[in-house]
Amino acid sequence: MKILIIEDEKGLRESIEEYFMEAGNICETASNFEDAMSKVSLYSYDCILLDITIPGGSGIDILKFLKKNNNTDGILIISAKNSLDDRLEGLDLGADDYLVKPFHLSELRARVTAIIRRKTFNGSNQLEYNEINIDLLAKAVKVNDQPVKLTRKEYALLLYFLANKGKVVSKNAIAEHLWGDGMDLANNFDFIYSHIKNLRKKLIEAGSTDYIQAAYGMGYKFTSP
Amino acid sequence: MKLLTRYNRVNLLTTIIVIVVAGIIYYQVIGLILINQLEKDLVVEENEILEYVSLNHQLPQVFKSNDQQITFTEAQPGTVRREFINTIYRNYDNHKYAKRHHRRDEDDEEFESGRGLITSVIVGDKHYKVLIVESTVEAEDLIKIIFGITAGVILLLFFTLFITNRLLLNRLWQPFYDLLRELRLFNVTDSKEIPLEKTNIDEFEELNQAIIGMATRVKHDYKELKTFTENASHELLTPIAVINSKLDTLIQTDSFSLQQSKLLSDLYSGVSKLTRLNQSLLLLVKIENRLLESNDHIDLKLHIEDLLMQFEEIFLDKEIKVSSDLDEKELFASTYLMDILLNNLLSNAIRHNCAGGEIKIKLTSESLVIQNTGTPEELKHNQIFTRFHKSTESEGSGLGLTISRQICENLKFTLTYSYDTPYHTFVVNF
Repeated sequence: MKILIIEDEKGLRESIEEYFMEAGNICETASNFEDAMSKVSLYSYDCILLDITIPGGSGIDILKFLKKNNNTDGILIISAKNSLDDRLEGLDLGADDYLVKPFHLSELRARVTAIIRRKTFNGSNQLEYNEINIDLLAKAVKVNDQPVKLTRKEYALLLYFLANKGKVVSKNAIAEHLWGDGMDLANNFDFIYSHIKNLRKKLIEAGSTDYIQAAYGMGYKFTSP
Repeated sequence: MKLLTRYNRVNLLTTIIVIVVAGIIYYQVIGLILINQLEKDLVVEENEILEYVSLNHQLPQVFKSNDQQITFTEAQPGTVRREFINTIYRNYDNHKYAKRHHRRDEDDEEFESGRGLITSVIVGDKHYKVLIVESTVEAEDLIKIIFGITAGVILLLFFTLFITNRLLLNRLWQPFYDLLRELRLFNVTDSKEIPLEKTNIDEFEELNQAIIGMATRVKHDYKELKTFTENASHELLTPIAVINSKLDTLIQTDSFSLQQSKLLSDLYSGVSKLTRLNQSLLLLVKIENRLLESNDHIDLKLHIEDLLMQFEEIFLDKEIKVSSDLDEKELFASTYLMDILLNNLLSNAIRHNCAGGEIKIKLTSESLVIQNTGTPEELKHNQIFTRFHKSTESEGSGLGLTISRQICENLKFTLTYSYDTPYHTFVVNF
């Protein structure tokens, strides 16, 4: 996938770039308004990560420009402004999603993946990974064509892992993804463990390879062994 | 004690003292004048007697007079000294008395106080002691009247003071009470000015001006502080985002030793705490600034059921027994705020619960009651809603209940805490 990162904060921009950089992905970056404008008007991307507050202008104007030109690029706003109005304005103007800083890279990745999936597979809602097949509309999971019954949270967890395959995903990121912002229930993430354990068990029992690995006690990694 | 009452008390007391003193002086002076008058009468009588004696060389005939009695008694020369005395007046003529008392026993002898003059007269070679007595009853009547008038004046004074206080002074103090009411309603987070009525009284006008000035300054300072908090929190977001993303990147590299991964875990939890704290601060500022107002239709029952489902795993994990009794309740409020409110209250009920504890949720059309077991000790009512107040073992930001209360205030709900063993109870009254 081809991604444009419009973000003025160098540290953040580089991290995102690094996280998305892998075989088959192209990441471009822009750190100011003119740069961003010239890139979005010249090239097309699968997804544009758009910061609202950038030097030289507003991300909202870039968004307006894109929409005016019937650009079909996926747009994910990443902003420090967590005000409802901004969020609504962004989404009203045609952004696909809105992510508030600070965020976990795995969360960003999951959102971007979801946007691209929606854009690319118009109509087709099948997600495949080796022997695992997911029907995104029916929210049904099959392993080797055998249906696996997952709970809501386990299903969300599987999608999250698939979007971040090959990456170590921290427990914090998982907890925030599954329970949202309200999840400030201490640092006891033991209950995540039971979800992961159940998901693993169900997949393995259905004949799948054991993809989920614990990573040094601080997270998990979905990867082919 | 009200200033007015106090003022009245002092005022009345001094007035009464003055009136009483004035009454006494009046009494004395009038008494003296009357006695003086009587004595003059007595002297006139004496002169008449002396004149009569010198003309006729015999004692005058004694008449029964209305208010004068004259008696002659023989006396040794030189034993009678001329003087005025207080004596008793024998009133034989009871006409007046009987008339006054509607009695007809006219023979009754009546004693009245009187003023007498003892003098001597010489008829031929005989010395006589002359006693002229005049009744002072008239004077006493007069004094009674004076006493009555004084008492009447005191009563009248009481009455008039009461009336003036009721009507006039209350009206005079009205601006003060208006001001007091406005001050009680004063809310530093409110943007509207204190509405004060103009008064013609200089003191009150000065007070009004001083208070308006003060309120403006306080509000200005508060606004500055709020802006600072908001800006600071905003500025913090980016560095936190960088730390967060760098951590996410770091854990993708190489393998870590157990010690390193422990360090990373701690870093993660530190950053996530910082993030939440920061978000809570921003949220609080926004709620206080009423930036999050909207009027969505909310089915509260459905909302709570959703939330309970969300927390299901956590209940299971912590072995918390949840029982809910939910009536239908619909209201109009911001979904966003309502979510935060419910989330906060429920998170608290979970966080401060004990293993194997209990949570009870009851929703009626008037209130939402969330009860949870936990430390068997009542929390301090006056502190739990203040910022950054939290129990020592709490991992929260210390802003949850502050935010909850602020949301309730915005939505015109009330949030109260009570402890009935073994439940900590939070009640939202709609």
